[in-house]
Amino acid sequence: MNVIEHPPIFRLPGIPDHVTYTWAVMAILALAAFIASRHVALVPRGMQNFFEVVLEQFQQLIDDVIGLEGRRFLPLIATLGLFILVANLLGLVPGMYGPTTNLNTTAACALVVFFSYHYIGVRKQGTLTYLKHFMGPVPWWLKPMMFVIELISHLARPLSLTLRLFGNMVGGHILLAIIFFLMGLDGLIGWALSGSPLGVVVGGVGGLVMIVFTVGFLYPLKILVSFLQAFIFVMLTMLYISGAIEEAEHHGGEHHPAHH
Amino acid sequence: MRRSLILAGLAVLAVPGVALAQAPAAAPAGSWVGPFAVLVAGFAMAIAAGLCALGQGKAVASAVDAMARQPGAAARIQTAMIIGLALIESLAIYVLVVAMILLFVQPIQ
Repeated sequence: MNVIEHPPIFRLPGIPDHVTYTWAVMAILALAAFIASRHVALVPRGMQNFFEVVLEQFQQLIDDVIGLEGRRFLPLIATLGLFILVANLLGLVPGMYGPTTNLNTTAACALVVFFSYHYIGVRKQGTLTYLKHFMGPVPWWLKPMMFVIELISHLARPLSLTLRLFGNMVGGHILLAIIFFLMGLDGLIGWALSGSPLGVVVGGVGGLVMIVFTVGFLYPLKILVSFLQAFIFVMLTMLYISGAIEEAEHHGGEHHPAHH
Repeated sequence: MRRSLILAGLAVLAVPGVALAQAPAAAPAGSWVGPFAVLVAGFAMAIAAGLCALGQGKAVASAVDAMARQPGAAARIQTAMIIGLALIESLAIYVLVVAMILLFVQPIQ
């Protein structure tokens, strides 16, 4: 890993990189929120308009997945979504370190989701009812096994959230690092500069192909994956919350999500 | 309101410094586990990518069929398809994480 890693351009002494750049993401989001809320008007303009559109999209997602009573969770969902999005995109800027390429940041987000949806379920229905719904609609002699299966699947959720976000981000970064390594003075460009005719032909053409491939295909793919993984994280959070809430409507109520 | 904001900010800044990542251990020279680990990592990733592609192909095929049947529901079907694709892909990502552990962390010497 040492040969393909490169340090970010700004480091605080004694503080790990992912913490420093988490603070950078927080600073970016706080600055954007400050600009958006400076002159709050009934008819929104500029940054306030942009953020109203973004939050309205989040609210529509929540209405579709959780229903109208999910609107109180908009701060949690939107903060998670915006933080993960900006953290992913920060990793794409050359010279910066993306906090989500570190297991600690993604595990922190996943643990927040895990404790949140259990707290929301317990607060909505009471501890005993919530735990009873772990056992599912099976006959009484299967209930203990069902409880164990549900427990394991619930424990797998933060693990899968962590690894999904981490793996997607780090996979792209390792691919990019390997291409830079192949292209550098030890690789294609060095071969092209070495002066031998075979080197110029293969190294030059190969280098050009790599540059076009990276800038034209890999970077847009990484940007797409950043947006997609933030969306998936938020979507799964909403599904877990709706799963924790909806158990109360088992017995006769129907679920009417709002449609626009 | 402002004091609680300042306190909350200080509390948030104070906590993450504790979460330090550990540096990976270096491999001793001459052990035969290293080459096998590299081989296994390569094969595992290849198998995972192939099977993930099969699963995602089926998912996209059904989604496109459904969208052709009912163009009005295309937006909702597309959302469900994107979620399904990301969940299938995450299984291949787990294999990638295991491959990276085998290659870079090298737990068995």
